[in-house]
Amino acid sequence: MWYEEKGQNTDVVLSTKVVINRNIKGFPFPVKMSDADRENVLGMVRQAAGPIGLNFVRTDELDDTAKQDLYERFFAGYSFLNSNAKTGFLLSKTDGLGVVINSTDHISINSMVPGSDIETAYSRATDLAVEFEKSMDIAYTDKFGFLTSQIKSVGTGMQILVTLAIPGIEKTEGAVQVLNRRAEKFDWQIIPMTQNDGLRQSGIYVLTNVATLGITEQDMLTRTQKLITDIIKLEKTCRKNICSRKKIIIEDQYYRAYATLRYCRRIESTEALTLINWLRLGQDQIDTSEADVSWSKINKLTQRVRRNYMDSNTKGVRPATKSTARAQMIRDILKGEDKE
Amino acid sequence: MRCSRCGAPIGNTYFKYNGALLCDNCARDLKIDEVLGRQNSLFEQLFPMPGEIASVLGTGGDLDFANTKIRCPRCGTSLRDIESGGQLGCIECYNTFNESVMKNILKRQGSSEYLGRKPGQKAEVKLTSVAETDAAGDDSSKKESASAKDAVELKKAKAEIKKEEQQKTEQETKPSDAYKSLKDADLTSIPDHEIEDGMKQAAAAEDYDLAAKLRDELRRRKEDN
Repeated sequence: MWYEEKGQNTDVVLSTKVVINRNIKGFPFPVKMSDADRENVLGMVRQAAGPIGLNFVRTDELDDTAKQDLYERFFAGYSFLNSNAKTGFLLSKTDGLGVVINSTDHISINSMVPGSDIETAYSRATDLAVEFEKSMDIAYTDKFGFLTSQIKSVGTGMQILVTLAIPGIEKTEGAVQVLNRRAEKFDWQIIPMTQNDGLRQSGIYVLTNVATLGITEQDMLTRTQKLITDIIKLEKTCRKNICSRKKIIIEDQYYRAYATLRYCRRIESTEALTLINWLRLGQDQIDTSEADVSWSKINKLTQRVRRNYMDSNTKGVRPATKSTARAQMIRDILKGEDKE
Repeated sequence: MRCSRCGAPIGNTYFKYNGALLCDNCARDLKIDEVLGRQNSLFEQLFPMPGEIASVLGTGGDLDFANTKIRCPRCGTSLRDIESGGQLGCIECYNTFNESVMKNILKRQGSSEYLGRKPGQKAEVKLTSVAETDAAGDDSSKKESASAKDAVELKKAKAEIKKEEQQKTEQETKPSDAYKSLKDADLTSIPDHEIEDGMKQAAAAEDYDLAAKLRDELRRRKEDN
């Protein structure tokens, strides 16, 4: 998986995702498209993607394993993968780069990288977008820019999503508010993440842009980087502050969290994320020599627990079975070798 | 409905007496209107709320009766669809609902001017590397003991934001000093809008003498015109 690779500042930034939405002239947006239109768009995008070197797959031809793989790589949601609505994917050889066809827009280019490397994520996505713009008649006006089905993304058609793991900020009084104000100043939003069951994902937030008009791509990226830099500084300061003041409490929580995760036989995702949060807070701040967990393992645990295909399947799989499988997966990751 | 006594059609007001429906005139003749009162007036009944108002009140949006029936000629999307979810049906919707789309864009984004790249052109992006964050890396973070310097950083960040907010509120509340230059200036050479602004600022700063002087100058100019 792309998120298991080494990245910049992955102790705070889990991943950076750039989504570029484009639509083809002459067709309604997917929400109003007929089956015939959907088939036409699938065919046209497939044809345009040939020279770029992307592999085309139809969603209705995917088996469960392939759907699980796409889900766990963050390309699409569970309901989209199981909707049979004449949709498809274009997958690149570069892990974390792909195109979703007939989702909210005709073409949604997804580029994901581990950590905070916004420049790489952007350049991969925009290279693909430029190729499509050259070979297809893309909906564009000088007044609005690129036309999208959602008013919120008209203009650049670009959405930047930075997933942050910030237990230090979350556990420091007033720090989330400081962060919110900072984000608002740059016209960005910071939103706490939730699970499928509506419960909060402990310490996980997503930072996303609001403006897609009145701003250039360069400005969007510069603002992202400034904000990420501020957040990393703030988070590290908060972690150090908490761990120096409450050293024994954090050590206790760290080892308790490790023991539970390492030996549990059943665990809910909310509990698992709360425990992983303690590992994240203590790592590099306290003496963890008796049970050291590397950053790559912590990140892998976080992503796997957050994004599990079986969890999203509400029919057929019993909750107890899910809890048992989750515990097994966590134990395997903690027991396994580090991927460096 | 017709009156049981005279057979005339019943208007907005009717009376029920021992199971019979009576018109306004018959009820007055029989002097039963004073006994029953006029509580049966049709105007006193509650009417169902029109769908347009109900939907707008439900979403907390603006009342806009004029456009609720407009539909995109190409895809059939209505204004209500757009206002409830921000989702358009086709490219033509941008023309059909231009005003509403613009309103929505300005509300969300604060600007409606497109500054991004043109189709097929790659926007060159250069980002200055952030030495501190890059050097920190991910897996190789140094195990340092917490220093007092770092602990102070959060306080600094908080103080900075507080200071910015204070400055902002001061700027909003504190009147500008620009009006002071008008005190000794030759008003005849100053344009109307500057005098008007100066008058407002002087009044806000409670310099009523200057405000009155400027008001008189404006009046004089209006009379001259």
